Amino acid sequence: MATEKKARRDALNESHVWQVYARRKFEEPLHEIGNVMADDVELAKVYARSIYDEFAWVEMVIVPRETIVHVIET
Amino acid sequence: MSTTTRRIDHAALFAVLSSLADNKQAVGRRYAYWCNGAPALEAAVAAAAMTQDELGHARTLYPLLDNFVQAEADLSQVEPETRTLHYSLAYLDRDFAGWADFVATNFLFDTALTTFFEAAQQSSYEPLRQRARKIVQEERIHEMHGEGWVRRLARAGGAVRATMTASLERLWNETLCWFGPNDDPIMQQLYREGSIDIEVPVAFNASNKQWELTGALPWDRWDAVGRRLG
Repeated sequence: MATEKKARRDALNESHVWQVYARRKFEEPLHEIGNVMADDVELAKVYARSIYDEFAWVEMVIVPRETIVHVIET
Repeated sequence: MSTTTRRIDHAALFAVLSSLADNKQAVGRRYAYWCNGAPALEAAVAAAAMTQDELGHARTLYPLLDNFVQAEADLSQVEPETRTLHYSLAYLDRDFAGWADFVATNFLFDTALTTFFEAAQQSSYEPLRQRARKIVQEERIHEMHGEGWVRRLARAGGAVRATMTASLERLWNETLCWFGPNDDPIMQQLYREGSIDIEVPVAFNASNKQWELTGALPWDRWDAVGRRLG
């Protein structure tokens, strides 16, 4: 029973991190406001909207963390 | 609450609005239990947001009941705080057994209600038309959530997938029945009068990828007043 429960939990563990960027005015640049974890892009969009809803953003984008290329890393 | 404007005499619209408000309220209450019980923090926050939306939809619908002559029979029934009638699905009478029930309600029933609100966006009854547009807009996110989670649980396979399938099957018939039988006098009247413009998909045939009626619905258990299965 415990093994079955663990298998269910593991099956639902999210493994992909999405960086969330947004801006409040068009004249502002997008800036990072946080991240969400989701394996499904549509769910990632829902999560980003519901978690980071403190402002009336004019734009919000999400970027899969694994696609970010480091140019300088210290 | 009382109104100074003349009440409208429209039993069909009053019946459907009562059912919509009760169902939105019931869905909101069921969702609320999962605001701290979802499989992940992100899903819990989304559940909280959806709970707020559903209770908000109920809150905007209940005051409309007071605009009808039919409310005069018992004015305590137009206030959610004093209302004792519950015209919501039998599926929503009990706590969700698990996250799969949440997903099934979100994916099937809430989306079915949105189908109704989409059809009511051109309603000849202005208060419903106004509310329908706002509700449809908010429900876009709920649909994305429902579809995303069905995909997620289906891909997980095994017991997770089986649990979700069982939840969907339990809710399927009652969701379809909510729209009423073909000769449902309430829906027929709303359709004739231009309150709604609706075509209801019934079942998905995977072989030809079409929505069609594949089996008889349990109309022998249909409670036409409560718009629910007995």
